[in-house]
Amino acid sequence: MRVPLGTIAGARSGDKGGDANLGVWVRTDAQYEWLRAELTVARLKELLPEAGEVDRYELPNLRALNFVLHGLLGDGVASSTRFDPQAKALGEWLRSRHVDLPEALL
Amino acid sequence: MIRIGNASGFYGDRFSAVREMLTGGHLDVLTGDYLAELTMLILGRDRVKDASLGYARTFLRQLEENLADALARGVKIVSNAGGLNPAGLAEAIDRLGLGAKVAHVTGDDVRDRFPEALTANAYLGAWGIAECLKAGADVVVTGRVTDASLVVGPAAAHFGWGREDFDALAGATVAGHVLECGTQATGGNYSFFTSIDATRPGFPIAEVEADGSAVITKHDGTGGAVTVDTVTAQLLYEIGAPAYLGPDVVSHFDTIRLDSHERGVRVSGVKGSPPPDTLKVCLNALGGFRNSTTFVLTGLDVEAKAELVRRQLESAIGAGGLTWTLARTDHADADTEETASALLHVRVKTPDAKRAKAFSRAGIELALASYPGFHVTAPPGDGTPFGVYRAAYVPRSSVPHRAVLPDGKVVEV
Repeated sequence: MRVPLGTIAGARSGDKGGDANLGVWVRTDAQYEWLRAELTVARLKELLPEAGEVDRYELPNLRALNFVLHGLLGDGVASSTRFDPQAKALGEWLRSRHVDLPEALL
Repeated sequence: MIRIGNASGFYGDRFSAVREMLTGGHLDVLTGDYLAELTMLILGRDRVKDASLGYARTFLRQLEENLADALARGVKIVSNAGGLNPAGLAEAIDRLGLGAKVAHVTGDDVRDRFPEALTANAYLGAWGIAECLKAGADVVVTGRVTDASLVVGPAAAHFGWGREDFDALAGATVAGHVLECGTQATGGNYSFFTSIDATRPGFPIAEVEADGSAVITKHDGTGGAVTVDTVTAQLLYEIGAPAYLGPDVVSHFDTIRLDSHERGVRVSGVKGSPPPDTLKVCLNALGGFRNSTTFVLTGLDVEAKAELVRRQLESAIGAGGLTWTLARTDHADADTEETASALLHVRVKTPDAKRAKAFSRAGIELALASYPGFHVTAPPGDGTPFGVYRAAYVPRSSVPHRAVLPDGKVVEV
């Protein structure tokens, strides 16, 4: 079924100089198996078209993925002209994007 | 076990948190983080105006109010509020006249190697703080140390850890990472906020054990929540690869184990490995001046209205350095004026302070000469300086990390 990713996933995002980081986690092993397969770098870029170069890391112990979005914030928070210069709400934007989720994972 | 609390996640955090943490229950150590990358720039500008400043003044006011109480309770205070001037802050605390034994940590300022920078500070580790505490300090203030060092230093001093006790250091680093942003660990800014009472989250506490494992908790009766989910959220904040580099240890975030505990969350299993031979340096330089304004475009012809005002402003001051974004927050046939309106943001970045000021004058001069319904959300100001941040790396052995003890004796760390 088509639902916002945030129906099952939490997220937190922030800044490191000109890069943003975006951590996403879920709360069951079955949800994590789905998340890990679904949320590739390519899929993240579809959901967040403003992303450029992206690194992706898996943290199965936390049922989490961590993304580093390089250069999203330009020269860093004090000089960025971006709408959200510290990427504080990047995670909430991602959670609001709609995805096809197996009903059993709800 | 050592019980370490946090009362600040940034310069500007809840002023009353120091009092709340001291009076809300037992603590051995109270820590506070005041230094973000952006804060270093703000303090750098303070220091340009007055060389005796450059530290977080709020912290001094918090101590004015609470230091006597902390001394009476035997709670040690450890903070990076020294910013660019830890010696100056230590002197100011001495002048409070409460007889506290105040120590400070120096050596992070490496401006001599980066003369073009307004601020250049190496991220020091925990060992300077540990030396100060071992010498009996009641208050330790530092400049740029890693945020987690505020927790690692007290734990290392308490348990007598050595420089190669990497697993214990990594465990305490992870506890420190959970604490460093204050209430972000206890339900603040939390995706599932509707499932807890997030009205006024309490500040976090780590009960660190001799092996570096910890229970994350908060004082009884405070708001928010400490759950596996709230702690997971904070663990994911501002990290990169799972091998989390620090000045004292590399902490492997893919080995962290979280378990529910009757008073919060137990953090265990963290593996550590030797740190790199270099220290990261936070560099801030003045980048120029910035200004911005937001035009409100209501009703019909939103794109054409945006195009008109853009053409007008660019012909007045030139297009260089301007960034435009049109947020289509408007709705057709809306039944409130606000939901009928779109927002056109324009920002200028320029090396020239006069151009930043000319931007606001040009914007205001359009008030009776532009699109129908012209208004702005707030009139633009004169513009403000902005910084450019960058990271650099220097050999650890080249940084003179020193602990200045309460009796004035200096220990090379």
